[in-house]
Amino acid sequence: MFSKIMVAYDTSEQAERAFDAGVDLAQKYSAELIVLSVISPPEPPGMVETEAILENGQMFFEAHYAKLREKVASSGVKPRFEVRVGHPAEQIIHLANQEDASVIVMGHRGKNIIQRWLLGSISKRVLSYAHCSVLIVR
Amino acid sequence: MTETWALATLWLGLALAATLLSIWFRIATALSEIVVGTVAQLIIGALMGGAILGTDQSWIKFLSGTGAIVLTFLAGAELDPVVFKMKWKEASVVGLASFAIPFLGCAAVAYWLLHWNGQASWLAGIAMSTTSVAVVYAVMLELGLNKTSYGKTLLAACFVTDMGTVVALGLIFSPFTYKTLVFVFVLVALGFVLPWLTPRFFKRYGGRPSELEAKYLLLSLFGMGALALWAGSEAVLPAYLIGMVLAGTVGKDHALVRRLRTLTFGLLTPFYFIRAGSLVSVPALLATPLVFVAFLVSKVFFKFVAVLPVTQFFNRRNGAEAKEAKTESFYTTLLMSTGLTFGSIASLFGLTHGIIDTAQYSYLVAAVIASAVVPTMIANAFYLPRHLLQEKKTSTE
Repeated sequence: MFSKIMVAYDTSEQAERAFDAGVDLAQKYSAELIVLSVISPPEPPGMVETEAILENGQMFFEAHYAKLREKVASSGVKPRFEVRVGHPAEQIIHLANQEDASVIVMGHRGKNIIQRWLLGSISKRVLSYAHCSVLIVR
Repeated sequence: MTETWALATLWLGLALAATLLSIWFRIATALSEIVVGTVAQLIIGALMGGAILGTDQSWIKFLSGTGAIVLTFLAGAELDPVVFKMKWKEASVVGLASFAIPFLGCAAVAYWLLHWNGQASWLAGIAMSTTSVAVVYAVMLELGLNKTSYGKTLLAACFVTDMGTVVALGLIFSPFTYKTLVFVFVLVALGFVLPWLTPRFFKRYGGRPSELEAKYLLLSLFGMGALALWAGSEAVLPAYLIGMVLAGTVGKDHALVRRLRTLTFGLLTPFYFIRAGSLVSVPALLATPLVFVAFLVSKVFFKFVAVLPVTQFFNRRNGAEAKEAKTESFYTTLLMSTGLTFGSIASLFGLTHGIIDTAQYSYLVAAVIASAVVPTMIANAFYLPRHLLQEKKTSTE
Protein backbone atom coordinates (compact mmCIF):
# COMPACT_ATOMS: atom_id res chain seq x y z
CA MET A 1 0.00 0.00 0.00
CA PHE A 2 2.76 2.45 0.91
CA SER A 3 5.93 2.32 -1.14
CA LYS A 4 7.39 5.70 -0.19
CA ILE A 5 6.85 7.28 3.22
CA MET A 6 7.74 10.87 3.95
CA VAL A 7 8.11 12.11 7.53
CA ALA A 8 8.03 15.84 8.27
CA TYR A 9 10.51 16.35 11.08
CA ASP A 10 11.14 19.54 13.08
CA THR A 11 12.78 17.86 16.14
CA SER A 12 9.71 18.50 18.36
CA GLU A 13 8.25 15.75 20.55
CA GLN A 14 5.39 15.29 18.07
CA ALA A 15 7.87 15.01 15.21
CA GLU A 16 9.74 12.29 17.11
CA ARG A 17 6.49 10.36 17.40
CA ALA A 18 5.80 10.92 13.69
CA PHE A 19 9.26 9.58 12.90
CA ASP A 20 8.62 6.46 14.97
CA ALA A 21 5.33 5.93 13.15
CA GLY A 22 7.09 6.44 9.82
CA VAL A 23 9.73 3.83 10.70
CA ASP A 24 7.00 1.43 11.78
CA LEU A 25 5.15 1.87 8.48
CA ALA A 26 8.36 1.56 6.48
CA GLN A 27 9.13 -1.74 8.21
CA LYS A 28 5.63 -3.12 7.66
CA TYR A 29 5.45 -2.19 3.99
CA SER A 30 9.17 -2.52 3.18
CA ALA A 31 8.89 1.07 2.02
CA GLU A 32 11.42 3.78 1.36
CA LEU A 33 11.59 6.39 4.15
CA ILE A 34 12.32 10.07 3.53
CA VAL A 35 12.71 12.48 6.43
CA LEU A 36 12.21 16.14 5.57
CA SER A 37 13.16 19.13 7.71
CA VAL A 38 12.53 22.71 6.66
CA ILE A 39 14.54 25.81 7.53
CA SER A 40 12.52 29.01 7.30
CA PRO A 41 14.52 32.19 6.58
CA PRO A 42 13.41 35.34 8.38
CA GLU A 43 11.26 37.93 6.61
CA PRO A 44 12.74 39.82 4.87
CA PRO A 45 15.91 37.76 4.69
CA GLY A 46 18.76 39.86 6.01
CA MET A 47 22.22 40.18 4.50
CA VAL A 48 24.68 37.61 5.95
CA GLU A 49 22.10 36.56 8.58
CA THR A 50 20.24 34.36 6.08
CA GLU A 51 23.38 32.42 5.17
CA ALA A 52 24.12 32.01 8.91
CA ILE A 53 20.60 30.73 9.64
CA LEU A 54 20.82 28.22 6.79
CA GLU A 55 24.20 26.95 7.95
CA ASN A 56 23.11 26.70 11.58
CA GLY A 57 19.87 24.99 10.57
CA GLN A 58 21.76 22.44 8.48
CA MET A 59 24.11 21.66 11.42
CA PHE A 60 21.20 21.53 13.88
CA PHE A 61 19.29 18.99 11.82
CA GLU A 62 22.41 16.95 10.98
CA ALA A 63 23.01 16.51 14.72
CA HIS A 64 19.43 15.25 15.18
CA TYR A 65 19.67 13.03 12.10
CA ALA A 66 22.69 11.28 13.64
CA LYS A 67 20.52 10.33 16.64
CA LEU A 68 17.70 9.15 14.37
CA ARG A 69 20.13 7.00 12.38
CA GLU A 70 21.30 5.37 15.62
CA LYS A 71 17.71 4.84 16.71
CA VAL A 72 16.75 2.92 13.56
CA ALA A 73 20.08 1.15 13.03
CA SER A 74 18.68 -2.22 14.13
CA SER A 75 15.30 -1.87 12.35
CA GLY A 76 16.64 -2.43 8.85
CA VAL A 77 15.11 0.86 7.66
CA LYS A 78 17.54 3.27 6.03
CA PRO A 79 16.00 6.72 6.03
CA ARG A 80 17.02 9.38 3.54
CA PHE A 81 17.29 12.85 5.07
CA GLU A 82 16.47 16.09 3.24
CA VAL A 83 16.74 19.69 4.43
CA ARG A 84 14.84 22.30 2.43
CA VAL A 85 14.38 26.04 2.75
CA GLY A 86 11.06 27.92 2.80
CA HIS A 87 7.59 27.72 4.30
CA PRO A 88 7.25 24.29 5.98
CA ALA A 89 3.83 23.36 4.52
CA GLU A 90 4.84 24.39 0.99
CA GLN A 91 8.09 22.47 1.13
CA ILE A 92 6.44 19.34 2.57
CA ILE A 93 3.86 19.33 -0.23
CA HIS A 94 6.48 20.17 -2.86
CA LEU A 95 8.84 17.34 -1.87
CA ALA A 96 5.95 14.86 -1.55
CA ASN A 97 4.98 15.74 -5.14
CA GLN A 98 8.53 15.55 -6.40
CA GLU A 99 9.18 12.19 -4.75
CA ASP A 100 5.68 10.89 -5.49
CA ALA A 101 5.34 9.89 -1.83
CA SER A 102 2.52 7.49 -0.90
CA VAL A 103 1.97 8.99 2.53
CA ILE A 104 3.11 12.01 4.55
CA VAL A 105 3.53 11.39 8.28
CA MET A 106 3.68 14.40 10.54
CA GLY A 107 3.09 15.58 14.10
CA HIS A 108 -0.01 17.47 15.10
CA ARG A 109 1.74 20.44 16.62
CA GLY A 110 5.28 21.59 16.24
CA LYS A 111 6.44 25.10 16.99
CA ASN A 112 5.28 27.61 19.58
CA ILE A 113 2.02 29.58 19.61
CA ILE A 114 3.36 32.73 17.90
CA GLN A 115 4.98 30.76 15.10
CA ARG A 116 1.79 28.74 14.62
CA TRP A 117 -0.20 31.96 14.48
CA LEU A 118 2.17 33.44 11.89
CA LEU A 119 2.69 30.34 9.74
CA GLY A 120 -0.80 28.92 10.20
CA SER A 121 -1.33 25.30 11.08
CA ILE A 122 1.16 23.40 8.95
CA SER A 123 -0.65 20.10 9.34
CA LYS A 124 -3.97 21.69 8.22
CA ARG A 125 -2.34 23.11 5.10
CA VAL A 126 -0.66 19.84 4.25
CA LEU A 127 -3.96 17.99 4.74
CA SER A 128 -5.68 20.42 2.39
CA TYR A 129 -3.16 20.42 -0.45
CA ALA A 130 -1.22 17.14 -0.39
CA HIS A 131 -1.71 14.80 -3.36
CA CYS A 132 -1.33 11.70 -1.17
CA SER A 133 -2.55 10.32 2.15
CA VAL A 134 -1.55 12.24 5.26
CA LEU A 135 -1.11 10.64 8.67
CA ILE A 136 -1.23 13.09 11.57
CA VAL A 137 0.35 11.58 14.68
CA ARG A 138 -0.91 12.82 18.04
CA MET B 1 33.06 54.83 33.07
CA THR B 2 29.81 54.23 34.98
CA GLU B 3 27.86 56.20 32.39
CA THR B 4 29.46 54.22 29.54
CA TRP B 5 28.63 50.85 31.10
CA ALA B 6 25.09 51.97 31.87
CA LEU B 7 24.63 53.11 28.27
CA ALA B 8 26.12 49.87 26.95
CA THR B 9 23.67 47.96 29.17
CA LEU B 10 20.78 49.92 27.71
CA TRP B 11 21.89 49.26 24.11
CA LEU B 12 22.53 45.57 24.69
CA GLY B 13 19.15 45.34 26.42
CA LEU B 14 17.52 46.82 23.32
CA ALA B 15 19.55 44.44 21.14
CA LEU B 16 18.36 41.48 23.18
CA ALA B 17 14.74 42.64 22.97
CA ALA B 18 15.10 43.06 19.19
CA THR B 19 16.56 39.57 18.85
CA LEU B 20 13.71 38.04 20.86
CA LEU B 21 11.19 39.85 18.66
CA SER B 22 12.95 38.60 15.55
CA ILE B 23 12.77 35.02 16.87
CA TRP B 24 9.11 35.25 17.91
CA PHE B 25 7.92 36.98 14.74
CA ARG B 26 10.36 35.32 12.35
CA ILE B 27 11.63 38.61 10.98
CA ALA B 28 15.16 39.64 10.07
CA THR B 29 17.18 40.81 13.07
CA ALA B 30 18.27 43.90 11.12
CA LEU B 31 14.63 44.88 10.64
CA SER B 32 13.66 44.30 14.28
CA GLU B 33 16.71 46.26 15.45
CA ILE B 34 15.79 49.23 13.24
CA VAL B 35 12.21 49.14 14.55
CA VAL B 36 13.32 48.75 18.18
CA GLY B 37 15.73 51.67 17.70
CA THR B 38 12.92 53.85 16.32
CA VAL B 39 10.44 52.90 19.06
CA ALA B 40 13.06 53.23 21.83
CA GLN B 41 14.01 56.72 20.67
CA LEU B 42 10.33 57.65 20.49
CA ILE B 43 9.47 56.36 23.97
CA ILE B 44 12.71 57.09 25.82
CA GLY B 45 13.00 60.41 24.01
CA ALA B 46 9.48 61.40 25.10
CA LEU B 47 10.01 60.28 28.70
CA MET B 48 13.60 61.23 29.40
CA GLY B 49 14.82 63.37 26.51
CA GLY B 50 16.31 62.58 23.12
CA ALA B 51 19.93 62.44 24.27
CA ILE B 52 19.51 59.53 26.67
CA LEU B 53 20.37 56.92 24.01
CA GLY B 54 23.67 58.68 23.36
CA THR B 55 23.65 58.04 19.60
CA ASP B 56 26.32 60.70 19.11
CA GLN B 57 28.79 59.24 21.62
CA SER B 58 32.04 58.44 19.84
CA TRP B 59 32.26 54.84 21.04
CA ILE B 60 28.72 54.10 19.84
CA LYS B 61 29.58 55.62 16.47
CA PHE B 62 32.73 53.47 16.35
CA LEU B 63 30.91 50.22 17.14
CA SER B 64 28.13 51.16 14.71
CA GLY B 65 30.59 52.02 11.91
CA THR B 66 32.57 48.83 12.51
CA GLY B 67 29.31 46.88 12.31
CA ALA B 68 28.56 48.34 8.87
CA ILE B 69 32.12 47.63 7.68
CA VAL B 70 32.32 44.01 8.86
CA LEU B 71 28.75 43.24 7.71
CA THR B 72 29.53 44.65 4.27
CA PHE B 73 32.75 42.65 4.14
CA LEU B 74 30.89 39.44 5.01
CA ALA B 75 28.25 40.24 2.38
CA GLY B 76 30.95 40.64 -0.26
CA ALA B 77 32.58 37.39 0.86
CA GLU B 78 29.34 35.51 0.07
CA LEU B 79 30.00 35.95 -3.65
CA ASP B 80 30.55 32.66 -5.47
CA PRO B 81 33.61 33.45 -7.66
CA VAL B 82 33.19 30.31 -9.79
CA VAL B 83 29.61 31.21 -10.72
CA PHE B 84 30.56 34.84 -11.21
CA LYS B 85 33.33 33.91 -13.66
CA MET B 86 30.90 31.66 -15.52
CA LYS B 87 28.05 34.19 -15.75
CA TRP B 88 29.83 37.53 -15.59
CA LYS B 89 28.59 38.84 -18.95
CA GLU B 90 24.85 38.43 -18.29
CA ALA B 91 25.32 39.27 -14.60
CA SER B 92 27.17 42.50 -15.40
CA VAL B 93 24.56 43.67 -17.92
CA VAL B 94 21.60 42.88 -15.62
CA GLY B 95 23.39 44.08 -12.48
CA LEU B 96 24.60 47.38 -13.96
CA ALA B 97 21.24 48.14 -15.54
CA SER B 98 19.58 47.31 -12.22
CA PHE B 99 21.84 49.83 -10.50
CA ALA B 100 22.19 52.69 -13.00
CA ILE B 101 18.61 53.34 -14.12
CA PRO B 102 16.95 53.29 -10.65
CA PHE B 103 19.85 55.39 -9.38
CA LEU B 104 19.34 58.06 -12.04
CA GLY B 105 15.54 57.73 -12.04
CA CYS B 106 15.07 58.00 -8.26
CA ALA B 107 17.58 60.86 -8.11
CA ALA B 108 15.50 62.63 -10.78
CA VAL B 109 12.28 62.03 -8.81
CA ALA B 110 13.92 63.44 -5.65
CA TYR B 111 15.26 66.46 -7.52
CA TRP B 112 12.38 67.45 -9.80
CA LEU B 113 9.33 65.98 -8.08
CA LEU B 114 10.26 66.35 -4.40
CA HIS B 115 12.53 69.38 -4.89
CA TRP B 116 15.43 67.98 -2.87
CA ASN B 117 18.80 69.61 -3.47
CA GLY B 118 21.35 68.02 -5.83
CA GLN B 119 23.45 66.16 -3.24
CA ALA B 120 20.39 64.84 -1.38
CA SER B 121 18.89 63.67 -4.68
CA TRP B 122 22.03 61.72 -5.62
CA LEU B 123 22.01 60.14 -2.18
CA ALA B 124 18.35 59.15 -2.60
CA GLY B 125 19.22 57.63 -5.98
CA ILE B 126 21.96 55.53 -4.38
CA ALA B 127 19.77 54.36 -1.47
CA MET B 128 17.03 53.34 -3.91
CA SER B 129 19.33 51.59 -6.39
CA THR B 130 20.17 48.66 -4.10
CA THR B 131 19.14 45.05 -4.47
CA SER B 132 18.99 42.72 -1.49
CA VAL B 133 21.15 39.72 -2.32
CA ALA B 134 19.73 37.97 0.76
CA VAL B 135 16.10 38.34 -0.38
CA VAL B 136 16.92 37.03 -3.85
CA TYR B 137 19.08 34.23 -2.42
CA ALA B 138 16.37 33.07 0.03
CA VAL B 139 13.70 33.01 -2.67
CA MET B 140 16.03 31.15 -5.04
CA LEU B 141 16.72 28.55 -2.35
CA GLU B 142 13.05 28.23 -1.52
CA LEU B 143 12.18 27.50 -5.11
CA GLY B 144 15.27 25.42 -5.77
CA LEU B 145 16.32 27.93 -8.44
CA ASN B 146 19.76 28.51 -6.90
CA LYS B 147 21.07 25.51 -8.84
CA THR B 148 19.72 26.66 -12.20
CA SER B 149 21.68 28.85 -14.56
CA TYR B 150 18.91 31.44 -14.23
CA GLY B 151 19.26 31.58 -10.46
CA LYS B 152 23.04 31.74 -10.58
CA THR B 153 23.01 34.61 -13.07
CA LEU B 154 20.50 36.51 -10.99
CA LEU B 155 22.52 36.11 -7.79
CA ALA B 156 25.72 37.20 -9.51
CA ALA B 157 23.85 40.22 -10.94
CA CYS B 158 22.79 41.25 -7.41
CA PHE B 159 26.45 41.50 -6.41
CA VAL B 160 27.13 43.73 -9.43
CA THR B 161 24.19 45.99 -8.47
CA ASP B 162 25.41 46.30 -4.88
CA MET B 163 28.92 46.95 -6.13
CA GLY B 164 27.51 49.83 -8.20
CA THR B 165 25.83 51.15 -5.05
CA VAL B 166 28.94 51.06 -2.86
CA VAL B 167 31.15 52.48 -5.62
CA ALA B 168 28.68 55.34 -6.14
CA LEU B 169 28.46 55.94 -2.39
CA GLY B 170 32.24 55.85 -2.11
CA LEU B 171 33.03 58.15 -5.01
CA ILE B 172 30.15 60.54 -5.79
CA PHE B 173 30.41 62.55 -2.59
CA SER B 174 34.19 62.57 -2.43
CA PRO B 175 36.10 65.48 -3.93
CA PHE B 176 38.24 64.16 -6.79
CA THR B 177 41.80 64.97 -5.75
CA TYR B 178 45.17 63.20 -5.67
CA LYS B 179 43.88 61.50 -2.49
CA THR B 180 41.17 59.77 -4.54
CA LEU B 181 43.85 58.49 -6.93
CA VAL B 182 45.97 57.18 -4.04
CA PHE B 183 42.92 55.47 -2.52
CA VAL B 184 41.88 53.85 -5.81
CA PHE B 185 45.47 52.78 -6.54
CA VAL B 186 45.90 51.14 -3.11
CA LEU B 187 42.49 49.49 -3.41
CA VAL B 188 43.31 48.01 -6.82
CA ALA B 189 46.74 46.87 -5.61
CA LEU B 190 45.13 45.18 -2.59
CA GLY B 191 42.70 43.51 -4.99
CA PHE B 192 45.69 41.64 -6.42
CA VAL B 193 47.77 41.23 -3.26
CA LEU B 194 45.13 40.06 -0.75
CA PRO B 195 43.85 36.97 -2.65
CA TRP B 196 47.49 35.85 -3.02
CA LEU B 197 48.77 36.75 0.43
CA THR B 198 45.79 35.88 2.65
CA PRO B 199 45.58 32.08 2.15
CA ARG B 200 49.37 31.75 2.49
CA PHE B 201 49.47 33.88 5.62
CA PHE B 202 46.55 32.01 7.21
CA LYS B 203 48.10 28.65 6.32
CA ARG B 204 51.39 29.62 7.93
CA TYR B 205 50.11 31.32 11.10
CA GLY B 206 46.36 30.73 11.31
CA GLY B 207 44.20 28.23 13.20
CA ARG B 208 45.36 29.33 16.66
CA PRO B 209 43.32 30.54 19.65
CA SER B 210 44.86 34.01 19.27
CA GLU B 211 42.46 34.64 16.33
CA LEU B 212 45.13 35.94 14.00
CA GLU B 213 42.73 35.74 11.06
CA ALA B 214 40.23 38.15 12.61
CA LYS B 215 42.98 40.63 13.50
CA TYR B 216 44.44 40.44 9.98
CA LEU B 217 41.05 41.06 8.37
CA LEU B 218 40.14 43.89 10.75
CA LEU B 219 43.53 45.45 10.08
CA SER B 220 42.83 45.41 6.33
CA LEU B 221 39.28 46.74 6.80
CA PHE B 222 40.19 49.49 9.27
CA GLY B 223 43.28 50.48 7.26
CA MET B 224 41.35 50.77 4.03
CA GLY B 225 38.45 52.41 5.86
CA ALA B 226 40.80 55.07 7.19
CA LEU B 227 42.30 55.59 3.73
CA ALA B 228 38.80 55.84 2.22
CA LEU B 229 37.77 58.52 4.74
CA TRP B 230 41.07 60.38 4.22
CA ALA B 231 40.23 60.48 0.53
CA GLY B 232 36.72 61.73 1.34
CA SER B 233 35.16 58.38 0.42
CA GLU B 234 33.20 55.83 2.51
CA ALA B 235 34.61 52.86 4.45
CA VAL B 236 32.02 50.35 3.23
CA LEU B 237 33.36 50.65 -0.34
CA PRO B 238 36.73 48.96 0.35
CA ALA B 239 35.02 46.56 2.81
CA TYR B 240 32.68 45.21 0.14
CA LEU B 241 35.40 44.98 -2.49
CA ILE B 242 37.84 43.28 -0.08
CA GLY B 243 35.04 40.83 0.78
CA MET B 244 34.51 40.06 -2.90
CA VAL B 245 38.19 39.49 -3.67
CA LEU B 246 38.52 37.24 -0.60
CA ALA B 247 35.30 35.33 -1.32
CA GLY B 248 37.25 32.41 -2.77
CA THR B 249 39.48 32.11 0.30
CA VAL B 250 38.03 33.64 3.49
CA GLY B 251 34.46 33.12 2.21
CA LYS B 252 35.10 29.38 1.97
CA ASP B 253 36.52 29.11 5.50
CA HIS B 254 33.23 28.44 7.27
CA ALA B 255 34.73 28.30 10.75
CA LEU B 256 36.32 31.73 10.32
CA VAL B 257 33.16 33.22 8.81
CA ARG B 258 31.15 31.84 11.74
CA ARG B 259 33.51 33.47 14.24
CA LEU B 260 33.27 36.78 12.40
CA ARG B 261 29.49 36.51 12.39
CA THR B 262 29.51 36.00 16.17
CA LEU B 263 31.45 39.22 16.58
CA THR B 264 29.26 41.02 14.05
CA PHE B 265 25.79 39.95 15.18
CA GLY B 266 26.66 39.64 18.87
CA LEU B 267 28.15 43.10 19.33
CA LEU B 268 28.56 45.27 16.25
CA THR B 269 25.46 45.30 14.04
CA PRO B 270 22.99 45.84 16.91
CA PHE B 271 24.71 49.19 17.48
CA TYR B 272 24.52 49.94 13.77
CA PHE B 273 20.86 49.06 13.16
CA ILE B 274 19.50 50.35 16.50
CA ARG B 275 21.32 53.62 15.85
CA ALA B 276 19.96 53.70 12.28
CA GLY B 277 16.44 53.18 13.67
CA SER B 278 16.80 55.69 16.48
CA LEU B 279 17.58 58.44 13.96
CA VAL B 280 14.26 57.92 12.14
CA SER B 281 11.72 60.64 12.86
CA VAL B 282 8.27 59.07 13.11
CA PRO B 283 6.47 62.46 13.24
CA ALA B 284 8.17 63.50 9.97
CA LEU B 285 7.22 60.20 8.36
CA LEU B 286 3.61 60.49 9.47
CA ALA B 287 3.39 64.12 8.39
CA THR B 288 4.05 63.35 4.70
CA PRO B 289 3.90 59.59 4.13
CA LEU B 290 3.44 60.08 0.38
CA VAL B 291 7.12 60.93 0.04
CA PHE B 292 8.18 57.45 1.12
CA VAL B 293 5.48 55.90 -1.09
CA ALA B 294 6.83 57.97 -4.02
CA PHE B 295 10.30 56.52 -3.45
CA LEU B 296 9.02 52.98 -3.17
CA VAL B 297 6.97 53.25 -6.36
CA SER B 298 9.83 54.98 -8.21
CA LYS B 299 12.29 52.30 -7.18
CA VAL B 300 10.09 49.47 -8.45
CA PHE B 301 9.18 51.41 -11.60
CA PHE B 302 12.79 52.19 -12.54
CA LYS B 303 13.89 48.65 -11.72
CA PHE B 304 11.26 47.55 -14.26
CA VAL B 305 12.54 50.04 -16.84
CA ALA B 306 16.10 48.79 -16.28
CA VAL B 307 15.85 45.07 -15.74
CA LEU B 308 12.76 43.96 -17.66
CA PRO B 309 14.05 44.56 -21.24
CA VAL B 310 17.45 43.05 -20.42
CA THR B 311 16.03 39.90 -18.82
CA GLN B 312 13.50 39.52 -21.62
CA PHE B 313 16.32 39.76 -24.14
CA PHE B 314 18.39 37.08 -22.38
CA ASN B 315 15.40 34.82 -21.79
CA ARG B 316 14.32 35.01 -25.44
CA ARG B 317 17.88 34.45 -26.60
CA ASN B 318 18.08 31.35 -24.41
CA GLY B 319 15.06 29.97 -26.26
CA ALA B 320 12.30 30.52 -23.69
CA GLU B 321 8.70 30.68 -24.94
CA ALA B 322 7.24 34.19 -25.12
CA LYS B 323 4.86 33.65 -22.19
CA GLU B 324 7.50 31.99 -20.06
CA ALA B 325 10.04 34.68 -20.91
CA LYS B 326 7.56 37.35 -19.80
CA THR B 327 6.76 35.66 -16.46
CA GLU B 328 10.40 34.97 -15.77
CA SER B 329 11.37 38.55 -16.58
CA PHE B 330 8.65 40.02 -14.34
CA TYR B 331 9.74 37.75 -11.53
CA THR B 332 13.41 38.65 -11.92
CA THR B 333 12.62 42.34 -12.01
CA LEU B 334 10.50 42.27 -8.86
CA LEU B 335 13.17 40.36 -6.97
CA MET B 336 15.79 42.85 -8.10
CA SER B 337 13.59 45.63 -6.65
CA THR B 338 14.19 44.45 -3.09
CA GLY B 339 16.70 46.09 -0.75
CA LEU B 340 17.45 46.49 2.93
CA THR B 341 20.96 46.72 4.32
CA PHE B 342 22.81 48.73 1.67
CA GLY B 343 19.84 51.08 1.39
CA SER B 344 20.00 51.79 5.12
CA ILE B 345 23.80 52.14 4.99
CA ALA B 346 23.52 54.71 2.17
CA SER B 347 20.77 56.61 4.05
CA LEU B 348 22.75 56.73 7.31
CA PHE B 349 25.83 57.86 5.38
CA GLY B 350 23.76 60.74 3.99
CA LEU B 351 22.45 61.75 7.41
CA THR B 352 25.77 61.57 9.24
CA HIS B 353 27.55 63.52 6.48
CA GLY B 354 24.90 66.24 6.45
CA ILE B 355 23.78 65.42 2.89
CA ILE B 356 20.18 64.80 3.97
CA ASP B 357 18.18 65.93 7.00
CA THR B 358 16.32 63.77 9.53
CA ALA B 359 13.01 63.92 7.65
CA GLN B 360 14.64 62.93 4.33
CA TYR B 361 16.49 60.14 6.13
CA SER B 362 13.22 58.87 7.60
CA TYR B 363 11.52 58.73 4.18
CA LEU B 364 14.46 56.85 2.67
CA VAL B 365 14.70 54.28 5.49
CA ALA B 366 10.93 53.67 5.37
CA ALA B 367 11.10 53.17 1.59
CA VAL B 368 14.10 50.85 1.96
CA ILE B 369 12.28 48.67 4.52
CA ALA B 370 9.13 48.55 2.38
CA SER B 371 11.21 47.65 -0.69
CA ALA B 372 12.50 44.56 1.15
CA VAL B 373 9.00 43.23 1.69
CA VAL B 374 6.50 44.44 -0.93
CA PRO B 375 8.17 43.40 -4.25
CA THR B 376 8.92 39.87 -2.96
CA MET B 377 5.30 39.40 -1.91
CA ILE B 378 4.02 40.53 -5.34
CA ALA B 379 6.62 38.40 -7.15
CA ASN B 380 5.70 35.21 -5.31
CA ALA B 381 1.98 35.84 -5.55
CA PHE B 382 1.71 36.60 -9.25
CA TYR B 383 4.88 36.00 -11.22
CA LEU B 384 6.46 32.80 -10.00
CA PRO B 385 8.20 31.21 -13.02
CA ARG B 386 6.97 27.70 -12.29
CA HIS B 387 8.48 26.13 -15.40
CA LEU B 388 11.93 26.83 -13.91
CA LEU B 389 11.12 24.54 -11.01
CA GLN B 390 11.22 21.69 -13.48
CA GLU B 391 14.62 22.75 -14.75
CA LYS B 392 16.38 21.86 -11.52
CA LYS B 393 15.40 18.23 -11.91
CA THR B 394 17.25 17.97 -15.17
CA SER B 395 19.79 20.77 -15.06
CA THR B 396 22.11 21.40 -12.14
CA GLU B 397 24.58 23.21 -14.32
